[in-house]
Amino acid sequence: MHTLPFDTVLVANRGEIAARIIKTLRKLGLRSAVVYHEVDAHTPAVSMADTAIEISGRSPIAAYLDTAQLIAVAHKARAGALHPGYGFLSENAEFARAVRKAGITFIGPAPETIELMGDKIRARKFVQCSGFPVAPSAVDEDDPEEFVVRARAIGAPLLVKPSGGGGGKGMRIVRNLDSLEDAIEQARREGQRYFGDSRVYVERYIEKPRHIEVQVLGDSFGNVVHLFERECSVQRRFQKIIEETPSPALSPQLRKRICETAVGIARAANYQNAGTVEFIFGAGEFYFLEMNARLQVEHPVTEMVTGVDLVAEQVYAAAGRALGFSQSDIAANGHAIEIRLYAEAPERGYAPTTGKVLLLEYPDGVRIDSGILQGQQITTAFDPMLAKIIAHAPTRIESALKAHRAIREMILLGCETNASFLARILADEAFLGGEIHTGYLEEHPQMAADNFAFGLSAFLASAALLTRPVRESADAVPPLHAALGRWRN
Amino acid sequence: MYHSFEVDGVDHPVWLSASQDGYRLHLGDQVIAPVGFAHHSNSSGILTIAGESEPVRFVIDRDMIHVHIRGRTRTFRYRDPLQTLASVSQEASSLVARAPMPGVVVTTTVSPGQSVTAGMALMMIESMKLETIIRAPQDGVVDRIHFKEGESFERDAPLVTLSKEGR
Repeated sequence: MHTLPFDTVLVANRGEIAARIIKTLRKLGLRSAVVYHEVDAHTPAVSMADTAIEISGRSPIAAYLDTAQLIAVAHKARAGALHPGYGFLSENAEFARAVRKAGITFIGPAPETIELMGDKIRARKFVQCSGFPVAPSAVDEDDPEEFVVRARAIGAPLLVKPSGGGGGKGMRIVRNLDSLEDAIEQARREGQRYFGDSRVYVERYIEKPRHIEVQVLGDSFGNVVHLFERECSVQRRFQKIIEETPSPALSPQLRKRICETAVGIARAANYQNAGTVEFIFGAGEFYFLEMNARLQVEHPVTEMVTGVDLVAEQVYAAAGRALGFSQSDIAANGHAIEIRLYAEAPERGYAPTTGKVLLLEYPDGVRIDSGILQGQQITTAFDPMLAKIIAHAPTRIESALKAHRAIREMILLGCETNASFLARILADEAFLGGEIHTGYLEEHPQMAADNFAFGLSAFLASAALLTRPVRESADAVPPLHAALGRWRN
Repeated sequence: MYHSFEVDGVDHPVWLSASQDGYRLHLGDQVIAPVGFAHHSNSSGILTIAGESEPVRFVIDRDMIHVHIRGRTRTFRYRDPLQTLASVSQEASSLVARAPMPGVVVTTTVSPGQSVTAGMALMMIESMKLETIIRAPQDGVVDRIHFKEGESFERDAPLVTLSKEGR
């Protein structure tokens, strides 16, 4: 039995994360309510929740971004708390404020913290002023021309980013300073379009950088702990594809330093709830990149090695409970790898794919966080991530092998996915050797290419034998005649 | 006349003939024998091909055949030999700009009746926050615009049909 100040939690999200949150709510003895747009009526979260309430909007995404409607639904479901998941309104300070104002507990950090970390420029300044390392950078203030001069002074290569952004949208690498102004203009336009914010910033681009982040947890009593790092260097267009813990790049000394830096940053920000401090790591140095004031997509790898249920900890922290453990109680056991199954075609420039899931079977022996059901229609209305497969084993190689076996055994027919691409990465020598960085896929373009001719005759034989008219025309000719030679008409 | 299975716009001509120990598969000039398929359920079976056995999972959805073998998935469209001939002659008089990926129409920059030249922008589409310009595959007159601004479409959907001559 729980002793929490609320007994029903509204999950204001969809897909695999909504289903994953409901699992923990159930474990904690809480009632779960979930919102859904009609295109999501046939999804795992809707069938798992105690209550599912339909929401609407101009577009499916707009429905999940409608603060007033979500709060009305929370009241209707008698929810005392709301979990925003990731994406959508999870890092929107105004939303967190509105939820609190409605008398509902927001399962996440304080609105002020979300505000601070949501503004990349402010967050960097805050981290720098608190005495932690950030990459050399230039921030876009009042004078655009002077900004270009300061950006130029850092020297190539540079990374141009929209200030309001996330998920790699609008980011550009500038190797030749002649194209700097164009890149800034482009980032401004994209920033304005996607985030309603045309400010940009420019920072030193670290060659072959690795993306390493640290999971932290804080409570309202000032306790902050870390749950070790995750490496998320395998990315396509700045979007993560494979994440793991521990990072194969860190020595025990560096691991200690990076994890303690993350705790220091979280403590300086009076961080309460679960959060992730992202760093860029290269040539033995790490710099603060940003802090995500929410649960991350890749949180399961941390859960697998530490045994800590991060969603449960989020619920407890939001309920005002003190952390139930201290830093020395947390140990990492083995190695975990998460692979993201996307509805996309890596061989066609990662173009999104659509279709109806006609057959779906997940493999055994791994953790599956799935957002899809057999019979579900995959559309482009949302992010293309369908499910995550998480493999846990004593060592990195064993964990990669386990993930490789799992992705090959998984059956999803009816919508093209990146499954065989993931299998190729998991069997790649450079990946297995831990030689990864955020440019790994650009450096190995053959990973995205599919050798179509390989095994084609087996596929065509199956197609021919499974197609009635093809078989009928073969059966129409008695074997005796057929044996005389190749039949032509 | 061969049967044909299409994948990603490429036709693979296939012919199956009966033999005493199963079937022979003709792929162009290549003949593979014997081949056979033993059903285990309505979505699984074992393919035997030139002495090898492969577990196969499959779904047949109208003219689409989805096949999974050893971690790889292929989707084939079965093309009836007679229909294939019919569509070739039909396509000769008009040209269709098709969607390279599923998405939403952002803006249409031409209107029906307008003459366009090869390479001219017809439409801007957005897919997963990436904008792509759909260009005229060759000179012609805009015959039909299949989707309005804000409407979504699937991959391969016809977006703009051009005719060689105005109507």
